[in-house]
Amino acid sequence: MSEAPHTVKSYEEELKNLNANIVKMGSACEDALGKAIQAITTRNSDIAENVIQDDEKIDKYEALIEQQVVNLIALRQPMAIDLRETVTALKMSSDLERIGDLAKNISKRTLLLNENLPKNLVDSLNRVSTNVQKQLKSTLDAYLERSAPIAVNVWEGDEQIDDLTNLCMQEVIKYLKDNEKNLEDGTHLLFVTKNVERIGDHTTNVAEQIYYLVKGEYLEGDRPKGTEPIVTGEK
Amino acid sequence: MIKIKAKDVDVFYGKKQALFNISLDIEENQVTALIGPSGCGKSTFLRCLNRMNDVIDICSVKGEILINDFNINDKSCDVVRLREKIGMVFQKPNPFPKTLYENVSYGPTIHGMAQSKQEMDEIVETSLKKAALWEEVKDRLHEPGTGLSGGQQQRLCIARAISVRPEVILMDEPCSALDPIATAQIEELIDELKKEHTIIIVTHSMAQAARVSQNTGFFHLGQLIEHGSTDKIFKNPDNTKTQDYITGRFG
Amino acid sequence: MNKNKEQLLNKRYKAEQRFRLYGQSAIFMALLFLTIFIFKIFSTGYSAFQKTWLIVPVTFDPELMMLEQNPSKEDIQDADYYDIALKSMADLDLNANEDQENELKRMVSYFFEKEIKNELLNDPNLIGKTKEVYLTASDDLDQVFKGNYPRDLPEDQRRVSDYQLKIFDQLVVNGKVESKFNISFFTNADSREAELAGIASSFMGSIFSILVCLMIAFPVAVLAAIYLEEFAPKNRFTDFIEVNINNLAAVPSIVFGLLGLGVLLAIFQLPRSTPLVGGITLSLMTLPTIIIAARASLKAVPPSIREAALAMGASRMQTTMHHTVPLSMPGTLSGTIIGLAQALGETAPLILIGMVAFVNTIPGSPMDPAASLPVQIYIWAESAERGFVEKVSACIMVLLGFLITMNLFAQIIRHKFEKKWS
Repeated sequence: MSEAPHTVKSYEEELKNLNANIVKMGSACEDALGKAIQAITTRNSDIAENVIQDDEKIDKYEALIEQQVVNLIALRQPMAIDLRETVTALKMSSDLERIGDLAKNISKRTLLLNENLPKNLVDSLNRVSTNVQKQLKSTLDAYLERSAPIAVNVWEGDEQIDDLTNLCMQEVIKYLKDNEKNLEDGTHLLFVTKNVERIGDHTTNVAEQIYYLVKGEYLEGDRPKGTEPIVTGEK
Repeated sequence: MIKIKAKDVDVFYGKKQALFNISLDIEENQVTALIGPSGCGKSTFLRCLNRMNDVIDICSVKGEILINDFNINDKSCDVVRLREKIGMVFQKPNPFPKTLYENVSYGPTIHGMAQSKQEMDEIVETSLKKAALWEEVKDRLHEPGTGLSGGQQQRLCIARAISVRPEVILMDEPCSALDPIATAQIEELIDELKKEHTIIIVTHSMAQAARVSQNTGFFHLGQLIEHGSTDKIFKNPDNTKTQDYITGRFG
Repeated sequence: MNKNKEQLLNKRYKAEQRFRLYGQSAIFMALLFLTIFIFKIFSTGYSAFQKTWLIVPVTFDPELMMLEQNPSKEDIQDADYYDIALKSMADLDLNANEDQENELKRMVSYFFEKEIKNELLNDPNLIGKTKEVYLTASDDLDQVFKGNYPRDLPEDQRRVSDYQLKIFDQLVVNGKVESKFNISFFTNADSREAELAGIASSFMGSIFSILVCLMIAFPVAVLAAIYLEEFAPKNRFTDFIEVNINNLAAVPSIVFGLLGLGVLLAIFQLPRSTPLVGGITLSLMTLPTIIIAARASLKAVPPSIREAALAMGASRMQTTMHHTVPLSMPGTLSGTIIGLAQALGETAPLILIGMVAFVNTIPGSPMDPAASLPVQIYIWAESAERGFVEKVSACIMVLLGFLITMNLFAQIIRHKFEKKWS
């Protein structure tokens, strides 16, 4: 936002309020992701339950933000930076909501997983998740500081996440191949890994929104991609 | 294509400088909106383009304004001919207190554009049709123009302006005295007119500038702060002053 | 605190009521004066529109008239009517002595001879016959008949003798005195005899003066106003001119009279006492009034109309002539008429240029000597005869009628032009 306040104070308030809600929603997502990862790595069902319950809160934020955005457009006709703020908020909220959903899905699967998972799988999953967590945190920082460089950083970091995801996937597939009994756990783990990767994608989306918000133009070029993901398992 | 090219235009009212070094290119067959806070010089600039500032004794204009590559500030420029080429519509609808027909036929009459009554009738009809007023007034062409509603009066003024087939139409806040429906009708009309005329519109309504124009210039304290395509100005202006103005942070 | 506020409020309402009262009483006073004035004028003036006639039998004796047998038209024209006129008056009292015959003669106007002559000119067959002829009663008897003359004064203080009154009363009893509408008041020029004096000369003089004034003042003033308002640069010099025009409007009218006397009569040798000179003098006086009115109404034309015309490519001249001037006309015209009405009521400058002279002919052109209505009032008011008192009021009534008509005209013009375009 520019330094000068709006002539109409209530308009200024509404924009600030919207901003604050995005930040709150973002930290709720960050929280959910962190807890979901914690739940799966420490095998803690309570935390998982907690995440599932908290998703409702995130959904409510999304509804609230959507309403605020519609009101702003209808009543204030925002222009330039204000317009970008408003539109970005709407898009960010839907990405964040997806992140919340995915975290919830991870937690649901956590409840179904067997107690004893191989340590290397947990480590590998942890590595991806921590990275994604970091990305999400950076994105929210970029939003708070209206910083294009941080957003670009996040955007470029997605490549690494894709690589780590693929690595993790390979290990899960190996785990599946090892024993037929691993089928159920392995499938869940596959989905969990995929979900973490999706969270990373949404985070990158948000970073792109922030870049547009700050610069007024879109990030040029294709999103950096890691090695082709292994879906078929053929190697 | 560039229709009007202003180069380093300075305007003084007595000793007070009202415009500083304005350089602005205006595209042919497009609508250019001039926005900015009151007293920023946008109307003054508009009035430079048909030399309406000549009327004000203490006003002096420096610099070049090229229309079709001809400098209208040159001594050889004939003001009457210039104003035939460059029509103007004012803030307040100002039809002459004469009949509708006389209002529209006035310009063609003084410029000798019609040889016969029939030709004149045609000019009046086409002008009124172009101004989207014909259907409403065709049965009362010989009633006074002042009897129309505000929006109709403004369209009558537009019909009057286009009756001499000007290349450029200047509009000085043409909708500021009108209700939203009348405003929408004028805006629709502007969109139609730009096919044949180059239009420059001064407006206080940023929404209107955004709706009708392809290019926008932002004036502040006698300076042209920013000029560019309308969607750029309204989505992502380069200058923070522009941004502050269009987002309602000052002015 | 609250009580204070209430008191203040009451005070304010009371002040407002008081103010209204002052206003109403001012209007009441104005109306009262106006009513008294009008009542006075009408009550003294209305009788001037009636004229008293004595019906006297006249014998058209050709011998007394020195007429031959079968006289031609010229003969009748040149005949001597004095003797039969005198005789018919003397015959009113057959026992009258010479003094009384003289008094009898003075019961009618000195015009009676001509009235008898006109009778015969109308009908030459009357020669040798007797006919009752209407003769204008003398102004004193006229006043007696109208009841304006105090009969109970001692005889030596009256202009009517007891003898005249006796004969007059006999005539009244016999129905030989009649009152009719006074046409001669409108058709006669001024006269030393009140019963014969009319306003025709001064009325025509006024009309000619106003016409001359209009023809000079209107074009000059309108052109000056247009130039000053639309074309002249705004600088110290034009400011100076503007101030002086305003000053000119405040100059006492007698000064314009002196100007007329000193310049028009002395230098240009224009004929004295004529509406031409009067009109020129009045036009000098009217000029600033019209200029101010015309400038004000030019100023009142919205600038947007000028801009519209200029933006259409009209030249300054076209803008002014096609739009500004027509729009300013109602205001200019009513200003002109008000200026003319002022000029119409003006006396002082006309006295100075000699329009106060006694004029007993009706002017046929602005170059003929004439009086004007206000000057006529002044002349009559100066006269001693009782008969002129009512004439003064009647003349004022005519002048007022003239002024009201002009103002009405101004209103109609204004209304007509404004109605057309609003």
